[in-house]
Amino acid sequence: MLYRGLIGAAALAASLGVAPGGALAFDESKYPDWKGAWRRVAVPGVVGQPSYDPTKRGGQFQEAPLTPEYQAIFEANLKDQAAGGQGTDPTYTCLSPGMPRVMTTFAPFEIVVTPQMTNFLIQHIHDSRRIFTDGRDWPKKIVPTFVGYSIGRWIDTDGDGRYDALEIETRGLKGPRSYDPAGLPFHSDNQSIFKERVYSDKNDPNVLYDEITTFDHALTRPWTVTKKYARVQTKPPEWVEEVCAEGNGDVEIGKEGYFLSGDGHLMPTKKDQAPPDLRYFKPSQD
Amino acid sequence: MLYRASIGMIVFAAAALSMPSATRAFDDAIYPALTGQWTRAIVPGAVGQPPFDPAKPPGRGQEAPLTPEYQAKFERILADRAASGLGDVVSTTCLPPGMPMMMQAYEPMQITVLPDVTYILIDHIHESHRRIFTDGRAWPKTFQPSFTGYSIGKWIDEDGDGRFDVLEAETRYFKGPRFFDSSGIPLHEDGESVIGERIYLDKADRNLLHDEITVTDHALTRPWTVVKSYRRTLDPLADWPEFICNEQIPFVHIGNETYKLSPDGYLMPTRSQQPPPDLRYFSQPKK
Repeated sequence: MLYRGLIGAAALAASLGVAPGGALAFDESKYPDWKGAWRRVAVPGVVGQPSYDPTKRGGQFQEAPLTPEYQAIFEANLKDQAAGGQGTDPTYTCLSPGMPRVMTTFAPFEIVVTPQMTNFLIQHIHDSRRIFTDGRDWPKKIVPTFVGYSIGRWIDTDGDGRYDALEIETRGLKGPRSYDPAGLPFHSDNQSIFKERVYSDKNDPNVLYDEITTFDHALTRPWTVTKKYARVQTKPPEWVEEVCAEGNGDVEIGKEGYFLSGDGHLMPTKKDQAPPDLRYFKPSQD
Repeated sequence: MLYRASIGMIVFAAAALSMPSATRAFDDAIYPALTGQWTRAIVPGAVGQPPFDPAKPPGRGQEAPLTPEYQAKFERILADRAASGLGDVVSTTCLPPGMPMMMQAYEPMQITVLPDVTYILIDHIHESHRRIFTDGRAWPKTFQPSFTGYSIGKWIDEDGDGRFDVLEAETRYFKGPRFFDSSGIPLHEDGESVIGERIYLDKADRNLLHDEITVTDHALTRPWTVVKSYRRTLDPLADWPEFICNEQIPFVHIGNETYKLSPDGYLMPTRSQQPPPDLRYFSQPKK
């Protein structure tokens, strides 16, 4: 397990430092300035929905190193989506996209750095993350979540006395999750591990990168992509509240997805889709 | 509008200090130690869902100073619930509770204090990010209304010891529907609430936090003030639960009707004699 030794050694000191009732000295100048709003940078020529590897189009164009079993699941998903279904993309009912899809950042996001924790505040469906940097070890038991449990450490790569990269490892995931709206799937065992390196561009402090490596049993090898973000220059940034449940025209009944029409009626999403079973309603007296 | 004059005086200097790529020293010793995880303090003897005013019983026991129009609306909600309806229960829709209901802190609350912003993060029904801006800004001329509202605050050193003791916040620019609590006490539909707060640590117990909330709203005959309290979680490794509303709330809204999903995945009525959904857009017989 990454970092266990280093983090374990620092755990006691860190926990003393965050003792309730006593403020921890926070030398902000040691940390990179990641304040403000950040927005995903689109790669010129890459069209369609934001993809997981931003340098390639989504879906089959990602060339994800899937095992044959999960390649077949992915292709069945594409057929279902082509027929109007949702395939293996679970977010249409406002389930969290989870890791690593939240880092596609479908909305501007904020990074809040404190010595003990870095928050990624991403107002989309349910996308925000806590990265613990207080030196803690992995807990013996993690309650699985869509965004997982993340432990990080700050790195001073050039030895100038200031941190310039945040390394993160994330475990404790639950599903269903997909890499992107095209439904690229994760293994159903949810044993994914993500290793990230978040750092500023050396030549442009308004550009940020997140190099994400995914280890997952649906993959034949670790898969690394680099996401790029630009700082929003509007000052102060306007933070918009996104509420997935508000105006969401998708509903799920049983295992079937349906649309809600503009006039408030249930509609099929696929040709010849059967309506829901209404066995719990009394027959009409008409 | 509270603070406008004094805040306006210092806005330029504050904006200059908060420019990206120019970090400034943060003397966190001058702020109260609000960092960490807080949970709602349980009031001895209180039963049921937490009410807006924790010092009084829920529902009518709150004695909310509602206008006759909104008292009648509240009574209709109570009557609907008594008839096994859902009476606009906000949590069946997965819409955010918004202010001030979110400050019930149904789930643990994270507070992070930085010089320009104090963040209050509560993951319940909606992943709510409250930002209380303390950078000296004025109210924006326009702002997209939200359930959480737009908050401006200022730190106060009440006892003159050189350290801040109280965060005073004012929150405006709302949308709805919003309720004071889960009993269904409504706020006015115009979204023009103004919510003032004083957030401070207990003088005798630094692990006890208070939020004195005053709501001014057109559904009320006078401002309504309550004091909420929170306990600091002493375990620095405490869990932060992820609350995914749609996983936990088995309701589906179709048109103006709310239905329940049975554990075996079928649609169920939520009240007696509720009609099933209209299936006019389906050409296939039902399963």
